[in-house]
Amino acid sequence: MKKKGKLDQDHIWGYLLVSPTIIGLLVLNVYPFLQTIYLSFTNAKVFGAHKFVGMDNYVKMINSEEFLRATWNTILFCILTVPVGVLLALVVAVLLNAKIRGKVVFRAIFFLPMVVAPAAVAMVWKWMFNSEYGIVNTILHTNIDWITNPNVVIITVAIVAVWSALGYDAVLLLSGIQNISRSYYEAAGLDGCSKLQQFWYITLPMVSPTLFVVLIMRLMASLKVYDLLYMMVGEGNPALGKAQSLIYLFYRESFISGNRGYASAIVIWTVLLIGVVTLLQFLGQKKWVNYEV
Amino acid sequence: MNKKLKKLILVLCMAGIITGSLAGCGSSKSGGSGSSLIFLIWDPGQKAGMEKMAQAYMEEHPEVEIEVQATGWDEYWAKLEGAAASNTMPDIFWMHSNQMFKYADNGYLADCSGIINESDYSSISAENAKGSDGKLYGVPKDKDMIALLYNKELFDAAGVSYPDDTWTWEDMEAASVQINEKTGKYGYMAFSHDQIGYWNFVYQNGGQILNEDGTKAEYTEKATADAISYYINIQNNAWCPTQAQFANTGAAELFFSGEGAMYYAGNWDFVNLCKTYPDMNGKWDVAVLPKCPNPVSGDGRAVISNSVSYATAEKGKNKEQAMDFLAFLGSEEGQKIQGESGVAIPAYNGLEETWVHTFEENGYQIHVEKLIPAFDYSVKYVNNPSRASWEPKVEQIMLDIYAGNVTVEEGIQKMQTQVTEAIEEY
Repeated sequence: MKKKGKLDQDHIWGYLLVSPTIIGLLVLNVYPFLQTIYLSFTNAKVFGAHKFVGMDNYVKMINSEEFLRATWNTILFCILTVPVGVLLALVVAVLLNAKIRGKVVFRAIFFLPMVVAPAAVAMVWKWMFNSEYGIVNTILHTNIDWITNPNVVIITVAIVAVWSALGYDAVLLLSGIQNISRSYYEAAGLDGCSKLQQFWYITLPMVSPTLFVVLIMRLMASLKVYDLLYMMVGEGNPALGKAQSLIYLFYRESFISGNRGYASAIVIWTVLLIGVVTLLQFLGQKKWVNYEV
Repeated sequence: MNKKLKKLILVLCMAGIITGSLAGCGSSKSGGSGSSLIFLIWDPGQKAGMEKMAQAYMEEHPEVEIEVQATGWDEYWAKLEGAAASNTMPDIFWMHSNQMFKYADNGYLADCSGIINESDYSSISAENAKGSDGKLYGVPKDKDMIALLYNKELFDAAGVSYPDDTWTWEDMEAASVQINEKTGKYGYMAFSHDQIGYWNFVYQNGGQILNEDGTKAEYTEKATADAISYYINIQNNAWCPTQAQFANTGAAELFFSGEGAMYYAGNWDFVNLCKTYPDMNGKWDVAVLPKCPNPVSGDGRAVISNSVSYATAEKGKNKEQAMDFLAFLGSEEGQKIQGESGVAIPAYNGLEETWVHTFEENGYQIHVEKLIPAFDYSVKYVNNPSRASWEPKVEQIMLDIYAGNVTVEEGIQKMQTQVTEAIEEY
C-alpha cells in the first residue's frame, strides 16, 4: 500500500517535469492541427470569419486539375530524390569511413551544404542552371531550359535537393557504420570475404536501422518540398503551374489568394499522404531492417 | 523532506524561466506618462526616411517615443494579419492598396477623415486610402508611376534618338528593331506584369480592366483585349526575350548588364537601382511611357499610378497618440521629409520637387523631372475588394498564354470569366 503511494508521487513529479514540453506541444502543435482539420470543412477566408461547408473543399480539391498535378509532382519529386539520395548518401558514408587521407576535410565538405541557408543554395544553383548564361549549359554544351521547361524543372530541383541533403544523411549513416564492431570485419576477412561481400553481408544489415531512419526523414522532407521550388521556380515562371508541389499550392492558396479553408484541405491531404507512406514503411521494415547487434 | 524541497525549488525555477521568457515576447514598455509607439513598414530601404519623420515629431513631442521596425513584404502581411485577428496591431503601419479593402472593410482601421484634408493630396493617393464605404482609412503617403528606362549607350551605338514624350508604341518597336540589328542586344523587354506591364497599354488604348466602380470585368472589351494581345505578342519579336528567358534572368538584370536597351520600372525602384549599379550612372535615363498611336478612345496617354497609405488600428491601445502622429505624417512638413529621402514621391500636392532634387543632390544622373507631368494623365491602380482572389488566377492565365497552353483569345476570355466569378462570389 505504502509502496504504491510512493509510485504515484513519482508519477506526479514525472508529469510535472515534462509538463512544459507537453503544454508546448498541445498549444503549439496539437491545437493548431485540430483547428486546421476543422478549417478544412469551412469556407474560411481571412480574419477567421467562416461558415461550415462540409466536404465542399475536398470535392473541389479532387476535381481540380491543379491539385492532381501538384500531388503527382510531389510524388514524382520523392521518386526522383529519395532512392537516389539515400543510396548516394550510403556510398559517400562508406567511402568516408575508409582509410583515406584528409578524411575530416572530405566530411566537412560533404556536410557544408547543410549549414548554408537553403535560400542561398537555391539562388546559386538557379544561376548555374540559367539557360542562357549558366555554367551547366556552358560546360555540357547543351541548350536545356533547366528552370522554365515544365518537364525538366522537377528534375533540376531534385538534383539540388539531393545535393543539399547528401552530407547530412551521409553523416548520420557514417555514425551508424562506425558503431559496427570491427570484429565482424576481421572474422569476415579471415574467411576470405571480398570488400563487396563485407559491405553486402555485414555493413548493410548492421546499418539498416540508421538507414531506415534516414529513409523516413528523407521521404517526409521530400513530400513537404517547398522552399527550393519557391526560390528556384518562383512567381512569373511559365512552368510554375505545372511544377508546383502540394505545399507550394497550399502556400499560394492560403497566403496569396487567402482561401484558408481550401488550403487547409490541401494540407490535411498532404498529412494523410505522409502518414500512409510512413505507415507503409513501418510495415515494410520487418522485411529488411535488422535490430540484432 | 529536504529532497522534496529541493525538487520543488528546481521545478519552480524552471517554471520561472519558462514564464519569464514567454512574458518577454509579449510585453512592451509602457513608461510613465509618455507613450512608446511601434511604426511597422515593409521596405527596409525607406527605414531611414521614416525614422527622420519620427525624429522630427519626437522633437515637438518629447514625451512620445516612436520605434520604426522594417520587415520583408511577405513577412509583413503575415504579421499584420495575425496581429489584426488578435488585436495587437502595431500603432502605426503602412497600408498597400492591394490590402486596403480587406482591412478597412473588416473594421480594423481607424477612420482618418477627421485629421486630414482630402484635397491636400493627389486624388489617386486619396482614393487608394479609402475603404469600400468611401471613407479615408489611412493618410496618403506617396504616389508612384511607371517609367520607361533606356540605355543611352545602346541607343548611341545603334544611332537611334532617345525616347521623349512624343514617342508612340511604333517608335518603340522601330527603335527595338534598329538596336537589335545594330548591336545584337534586346530592345524593349516586355515581361509578364500587370501594373508595370500590360495595364498601361490597356488604358492607353482606351480600354479598362474593371469598370468605373469595380463591379464588372472588362477584359473582353475590344480596346482592352487588343492591348493585352499587343503586349503579349511583343515577345514574338526577336528583340524581346521570352517569358522563359525572363524567368532565368530578370529584365532589370538584363538591362543593367547592358543586354537590353529598354524596360518599364516603377519610380520606387530608382534610388535602389542607382545605388546598386553605380557603374551604370550616367549611362541610362528615364522617359514617360510611349503613347498608343491609334487608340480606340482617348489621346493614347496613360500611366498606372498607385500609392501607399499610413494607417492605425481602430482598436489600438495608443490610438489617440497614433492619430496625432498620423496627422503629422500627412502634413506638408512630414511629407516634405519623406520626399527628401528620395524613395517615394509625396502624396501631398506640390511636393514632387523634393523628390526630384534628391537625385541631383546625390549625383544620380537621371532626369526624373521629365516624369512629373505624366501625373496629369495617370490612372488609378486597378483594384476592387475581390482583387486578392482574382489577381493570382489572372496572373496564372497570363503565364499559360506565354507558355502557349492557351491562345491569347481563349486566355482573355478565361480572365473575363475568372474575374467575373470572383466579383460575384465576394
